Amino acid sequence: MTPPHGVGIGWRTEIAGFVAGLPGLRFVEVVAESVPADGPLPDGLVALRERDVAVVPHGVRLSLGGAEPVEPARVAHLASVARRLDAPLVSEHIAFVRAGGREAGHLLPLPRSRGAVDATCANVARAQAELPVPIALEPIAALFDWPDDELDEAEFLTEILDRTGALLLLDVANVYANARNRGTDPLALLDRLPLDRIAYLHVAGGAEHGGFYHDTHTHPVPSPVLDLLGELCARHRPPALLLERDGHYPPAPELRAELDALAGVSGYPVVT
Amino acid sequence: MNGDEAAAAGHPASHPSGDLAARQAALVAALVAGGPAPVGFDPAALDAARSALLRKRAGEVARHWPLLAAGLGADWPATFVRWAAGRPTAGSLRDGWDLARELRDRGTLPPLGAEELAVREAVDRYDGHRPPRHRRLPGWGRAGGAVAIQFAGRVRLLTPAPR
Repeated sequence: MTPPHGVGIGWRTEIAGFVAGLPGLRFVEVVAESVPADGPLPDGLVALRERDVAVVPHGVRLSLGGAEPVEPARVAHLASVARRLDAPLVSEHIAFVRAGGREAGHLLPLPRSRGAVDATCANVARAQAELPVPIALEPIAALFDWPDDELDEAEFLTEILDRTGALLLLDVANVYANARNRGTDPLALLDRLPLDRIAYLHVAGGAEHGGFYHDTHTHPVPSPVLDLLGELCARHRPPALLLERDGHYPPAPELRAELDALAGVSGYPVVT
Repeated sequence: MNGDEAAAAGHPASHPSGDLAARQAALVAALVAGGPAPVGFDPAALDAARSALLRKRAGEVARHWPLLAAGLGADWPATFVRWAAGRPTAGSLRDGWDLARELRDRGTLPPLGAEELAVREAVDRYDGHRPPRHRRLPGWGRAGGAVAIQFAGRVRLLTPAPR
């Protein structure tokens, strides 16, 4: 039940063996929808819990930013996964993933409007009423914006955090990707976000494709993202940070080097 | 465009509370179901998002249909994306199943994919509309010359697809 601390990694079955072999690891994150609500838990997660490694369920399909009320069964699943893993908190995104009966297949951005803030806060409140632990909300990487935003990004996020009392899961790679694709200054955004509300950070890799920077989680973490992590830690170092990798897994030495780079930049102990 | 201009243009943004659902639905339709691009969005950015969604979906379907994807090799992403563009997902399992059947019908299903499809057809019954369900009785599956049989839940590839 210890809160996330230091350098962690997203637990995925493909790299379960690698993660199990990290001697200094104190926390991981697991995609909540991949954990069953009953029946046996994945062996790798059980072993980590026995080592007292904190496991944070990370939801990707709640659609908290959807205009429709969040589906109670999805919240119940997230709550039961949190209980089963004795998680210190859960996390989800400020995004929607379905509408009009169709699945988008990925996290989509919200209009930065008062209406979207209201819809999101209502859904977060519905989730909080059922969850046994606090929730941290993650702003996403978006390839496009809605045409009629009423609020800027910092106002939009701060308003949602203030009204829900939720923690912030800040993804440094998302901040980098959005700023690069919009042609804005990522530091200007960092300076206006409530950095003291960060539960932990995400750091991930991406790549340029067709004139856009894509937050792929299947490429190495580029150095500008590490630089931005350094800038963030210099302003207010969060309690924990986590490497997300979701495919094209590199050989173990490369993954270890990425974790070591996160430790080096943040000043937290090496976990490898 | 501010709120008043939006209202004058008949833009849904002029109705802040009720129309978020409709606007989100229109956006998802434009991204995954071939719907028209909603007014005011940057078309190039929407195109980039549409392509990124298809590539992500191709990766997810490949995880459910590893032999189908391996059989197509370097052609997998383009083959999947061509098939999936404008077609909303029915879930990775059914997407791969529908594509494999279409390739089978066109005679372009690679041997590895034919064997994977034959095994799936032997184990589950899938009508193309509702989620696949386990066969409770012995069954068999055929695709591209491959034959698989299933008895009491155990499946065996009886005849490999011709190479």
